[in-house]
Amino acid sequence: MIEKTKVLALIGIIAILGNWVGYGVSPIKALPGIILIVLFTIIGLVLNKYLPKMPAVVWISLIALIATTPIFPGNEWIVAKTADINFMALATPILAYAGLSLGKDIESFKKLGWRIVVISLVVYTGTFLFATLFAEIVFKIQGRF
Amino acid sequence: MLKDWKLHIIVLFFVLIGEAIGVKQFNLGVGTVALFPMLYVLIMGGIVSFPKLKLMNETQMKRAAGILGISFLLFVAKLGSMLGPSLPKIFDAGVSLAVQEVGHVLGTIIIGLPIALLIGMKREAIGATFSIDREPNLAIISEKYGADSPEGRGALGVYICGTVFGAIYLAILAGFLGSLGIFHPISLAMGAGVGSGSMMAAASGALAVTFPNDAEDIALFAAAANLISTILGTYLCVFFSLPVTARLYEWLEPKIGRLRKEAAK
Repeated sequence: MIEKTKVLALIGIIAILGNWVGYGVSPIKALPGIILIVLFTIIGLVLNKYLPKMPAVVWISLIALIATTPIFPGNEWIVAKTADINFMALATPILAYAGLSLGKDIESFKKLGWRIVVISLVVYTGTFLFATLFAEIVFKIQGRF
Repeated sequence: MLKDWKLHIIVLFFVLIGEAIGVKQFNLGVGTVALFPMLYVLIMGGIVSFPKLKLMNETQMKRAAGILGISFLLFVAKLGSMLGPSLPKIFDAGVSLAVQEVGHVLGTIIIGLPIALLIGMKREAIGATFSIDREPNLAIISEKYGADSPEGRGALGVYICGTVFGAIYLAILAGFLGSLGIFHPISLAMGAGVGSGSMMAAASGALAVTFPNDAEDIALFAAAANLISTILGTYLCVFFSLPVTARLYEWLEPKIGRLRKEAAK
């Protein structure tokens, strides 16, 4: 858990530096926001450890969600501070680690046949396209746009 | 994980370069392709970790994969903090959010299974098309058929492809579909919540770049859809997707198999 906290803090630092370069928010201004986000994550992880049954992702979403709803004391401050962190800036380090882990799968990837590569493209297209289409149809029926 | 400073310094360096380059869009005539920091760092990482270059060893790559899982949690917390103030907006789109999940579940099977059979796959097709084949789905298929079964191999194949190019592919697809102007950005955002961390991040990023005015709402609805996929995904997979795909296979395989034989003559 301590190890995870340190890793979260480190990625937090990388993210606010990226947020600075990409979105012009100074790291000092972004600090409270990233501390809150790291805190939500840690609380979620602790809950996941002692009350399992739900993936950590669900616990973390739930904690962050509750802390930013109008029922939670100080929610306006929390919303304003977390808004200083651009969601794209937080995703960039994730994809950097993803890229650096790619090499380990290259050998197994080379062994795959062309059919499975084609089908994986079809599968990703299918899930994205059909979910989009179904959402769009419902919005159209409801006359939203 | 923390001690591998080389790894973190490379990431920091990539992030700074990536963010400094910023967003670039290319017009292909029919639509645009959106390039943005997430994609640059992913590609830079892929190049550095390429085995032939020997810049990184297996342990470091495994560590990077481990950190990837933890760092995604921060992204989830950020998205969660956007959900709180927008709950009325999300409930307002409740029906669409529920129905789009059906699209996520059926979408892999409806077009995946027939095409897999048409290009001559056998039982691998079940594992390859019953879901997007991320970690929880792999666990489900190996429990039912065994990891070394044809079904298990099909699932593992799509898993590996997803790891290698899933995020890039979804980012390009999302940006391109968005630029065509057929779908509303919010519908596309829901589509982006496919239930895999890096794919969702990359696809919603591409949409946010394509529709800068709707960036906040895109993150919001992608996050909500992804959360639904995460919560319901495993149950739907065990009780619906897998049995239905297996049944459809038994029904479709003889028909498409015969078609293929006739075509071969």
